[in-house]
Amino acid sequence: MKRYPVTPIFIAAITGLAAAATAAEAQNVDTSEWICEFCPFEDGSRGDYFLGASSVSDDSAYLGNASGYDEEGVYANLDGEGSATGEKHRLRWVLEDLALDSRFAALEGGRPGSFDYRLAYRELPYRRFDTTSSVFAQPAGDRLSLPGGWDPQPTTTAMADQVGAALRPRNLESDRSIFDIGGRYLAGGFRVSADYRRQENEGVRSLGGSAFTNAALLPMPFDYVTDEVDIGLRYAMRSGMGSGFVSLGWYLSDFRNDNTALNWAHPFGAAVLTEPAGYALAQAPDNRYSRVSVAAGYVLPDIATTVSVSAAFGQIEQDAEFLGYTVNPEVDAEPLPRNSLDGEIDTTNYAFAVTSRPIDKTRLRLSYRYDERDNKTARDLWNRVIVDSLLSGSPEQNVPYSFERSRLKLSGDYDLLDTLRLSAGYERRDVDRDFQEVAEQTEDTAWAKLRWRPFQAFEFDIRGGGSKRDIDSYNETFAVTFGQNPLMRKYHLAYRERRFGALTASWSPPETSVSMSFAASYADDDYAQSALGLVEAEESAYSLDLGWSITEKSTAYVNVGVESIESEQLGSASFAAPDWVAENEDGFTTIGTGFRIRQIADRVDLRVDYTHSEGKSEILLDSAAGGASRFPDLETTLDDLNVRLAYRSSERLELDLKLRYQRFETEDWALAGVTPAAIPVVLSLGAEPYDDETIIVGLGFRYAMGNGAEE
Amino acid sequence: MRLAVSAASLALLALVVAGSAGGQESEYTRKGADTCLSCHEEQTTLALFRGKHAVPSDPRSPFGHGQLQCEACHGPGGPHSGRVRRGQERPPIIGFGNDKPTPVAQQNAMCLTCHDGDMGFGWQNDAHAGGEVACADCHVSHTGSDPVLKTSTQPEQCYECHVQTKTRMRKAFTHPLTDGKMDCSSCHAVHGDAVDSDLLHVTINDTCQTCHAELRGPFLWEHAPVSEDCGLCHAPHGSNHPGLLSKRGPLLCQSCHSQSGHPSFAFESDGLASEMPSQYLLGQNCMNCHSQVHGSNHPSGSGLMR
Repeated sequence: MKRYPVTPIFIAAITGLAAAATAAEAQNVDTSEWICEFCPFEDGSRGDYFLGASSVSDDSAYLGNASGYDEEGVYANLDGEGSATGEKHRLRWVLEDLALDSRFAALEGGRPGSFDYRLAYRELPYRRFDTTSSVFAQPAGDRLSLPGGWDPQPTTTAMADQVGAALRPRNLESDRSIFDIGGRYLAGGFRVSADYRRQENEGVRSLGGSAFTNAALLPMPFDYVTDEVDIGLRYAMRSGMGSGFVSLGWYLSDFRNDNTALNWAHPFGAAVLTEPAGYALAQAPDNRYSRVSVAAGYVLPDIATTVSVSAAFGQIEQDAEFLGYTVNPEVDAEPLPRNSLDGEIDTTNYAFAVTSRPIDKTRLRLSYRYDERDNKTARDLWNRVIVDSLLSGSPEQNVPYSFERSRLKLSGDYDLLDTLRLSAGYERRDVDRDFQEVAEQTEDTAWAKLRWRPFQAFEFDIRGGGSKRDIDSYNETFAVTFGQNPLMRKYHLAYRERRFGALTASWSPPETSVSMSFAASYADDDYAQSALGLVEAEESAYSLDLGWSITEKSTAYVNVGVESIESEQLGSASFAAPDWVAENEDGFTTIGTGFRIRQIADRVDLRVDYTHSEGKSEILLDSAAGGASRFPDLETTLDDLNVRLAYRSSERLELDLKLRYQRFETEDWALAGVTPAAIPVVLSLGAEPYDDETIIVGLGFRYAMGNGAEE
Repeated sequence: MRLAVSAASLALLALVVAGSAGGQESEYTRKGADTCLSCHEEQTTLALFRGKHAVPSDPRSPFGHGQLQCEACHGPGGPHSGRVRRGQERPPIIGFGNDKPTPVAQQNAMCLTCHDGDMGFGWQNDAHAGGEVACADCHVSHTGSDPVLKTSTQPEQCYECHVQTKTRMRKAFTHPLTDGKMDCSSCHAVHGDAVDSDLLHVTINDTCQTCHAELRGPFLWEHAPVSEDCGLCHAPHGSNHPGLLSKRGPLLCQSCHSQSGHPSFAFESDGLASEMPSQYLLGQNCMNCHSQVHGSNHPSGSGLMR
């Protein structure tokens, strides 16, 4: 096989312009005999539809999450896709899982080169737990009540019997529906686009409600609506000097939540409020985000340079009416400083990038970006009421956090040889924050990379570098005002040194029809100046991927991934020097394998995929008071087998059989044995660790309509 | 000597013929796509006619009126389609994909001839471009349905190179990519963008809040890291811990919170359900009470409990 020299990608831009000139020269090519009589252009309509049924062996929130197969039973399967092509108009449609809670339908069409449009609808089920139950009833969308005659007790132990009698299943789940409509109009170099999207998210999630020293995990109903509008205008130009574009955009995201509060009755004896008032939690307030953006880019082929700039200016507003300090009329609470937040955040983002190839074998890149979040929300003193009973007496000021963040990146590539490229880069990040322990933070990063590609089928990359994150000072006095131990160093603010490296190798020898790749990465963080908090973190990951084209009609693969995330943190129970240390280690291993055989006896396709993944989290805590304490491992194990068999009985008709086996099991000490009344001061929802084993068997027919089956 | 004269005459004749043929024109095939399809009649080639690249009514399409059909992308195919002597290698045309000898830059240049506008010039600054990823490494043009443009099949395409992300997406708690209900481009601008980021929106929080807008605030009582970067607590590509948290509570919270009293206590394994069940470890640990970790809009909610 002829081998071409490796050419930097920047040539793409230059050659692109040259190629554009070639296309223009089509006028000089005599195409009078190019009648395309052998071209099977699409005309008329075609479609490919699937109708079938699946039997699900067991309930499983884990399997049902996103897929829609959450309960035992039989589900109809209806999928399809198709197109209709006229002389000037095209339509395409896709239907997926129409009979499931994860249904999707899309229609797109238009006159190619002139305009296009798209409508889409998707439902996305989120299934968190189907083992939960609650004593709370929901008489209204924003209210949770206790059963009549509920006798509050100081602990769950004392109320165990009535909890047991009152518990009703309450799954933690939600359903998101997304409606999308949009289109583009093209005229000359102009392109106008407009998109509208509505997301409705409704369901139940767990939210802790607390008063005094007791808490209850509440099955909080929610009903959110988010509307998004995205409008763009773009002009692309091309001249002898080069080519470029200018674009303008406007984006709006409007979030609404009809429920401003969740009112709930406290089941514990210490409660001072009983129904109908109950306690009140604030729900997510309505908010609106709008952003105007402008961007431009230009390719200057004469100096082998691409330049792009962009700016975006946004505003976030939130002005939902506040709840009162308390719903307890017995407390003589002060009037609120204002009745709503009148919150306003201005966001600013700038970016600039230049990519150039000033001399042969060299590519340089410079980029800069700046992000600002300027929270202009007014500050006031708030004299809160503690657990709806006691005036705090120590008014607190709200803290509108703001930051400015910038990043400068410089990098260059140099081809030492046709097969060897050296790259190096430098990056500087600056973050300035308001109202936090660290006002100014700077991180410098340097890296180098070597890529060796001795022949097209083999590539080897090795990359390494380090960074140092420095701070002006860690303001302990400020930290203490928030009650923090002055020795604490929050990990995203602290001084840090990082070393990192990565290695990848890929090989696809054409003679063997085998492809393989290996990747390894490593990062090590050292928080050398932190006396409390995170002091060390290390992450490593390895993966191996093998693919084999056994014959023209059969392929097989296997991939293996191993990852480890370790950290060490220090704490002080005595609110002084460190007196305990915790070590975390998250390990993760995954194996995926499978094969595919097409056209067995010209009629049968078989595909088998199997995934095994397991995660293990180890926590070891060693304290001066209690000694070493090792937690049981947190474990997750997933086995997922998918088999698909397709039998073509004719050009148009296909019989499909699918089998899926999934087992998902977790060992989780945070849930194991935690029945609703297991924690004396917390009435929980009793979520259990997953232990799901599910088999899905599906059978159906696929029928191709119109002028031919899909390729 | 006679042989040399004959050879020179033939060469001269060839030059004259080439000149009269009109320079560039001679490099193209005589009948355009019909020439190509007379040999390349396999289904994988013909699948082109199901897609947007073969629409005669679209003047921008390679098969629009007066366009160069197959040769618009594959380059002039005259020599390739001509006769070759036995044993002689057929002159190559521009091929697409990592199994083709055409340099990546040349492959991409052909695509960018038409698609530079779609790329927003972010492509030139993008890590994919810098890494010499070919358009055809991800995209299939000879099809009516490009897998990388379809939510249910896109992630597998990306995983071809992003193997470690593929692994992470198999962790117990992830976004629903494995089920084909979300794709990489739900969050990532895979062609790069002018703002030097691989994210769909200008910051990571803007991107997350496209779907999680309820967390946007601003709240009366904010949690500082939430307003700055969701990734400080969450691992968006997958985690062993529920909620895509990067670490299990209460230790995650105690990485930053050291106030006197329970925030700084060492919660040991004797607080598990089998011994002395602890509200600081079990259920939702810290969030049993401090449930409004993303911010509270309650006037009495400064402790993120209301």
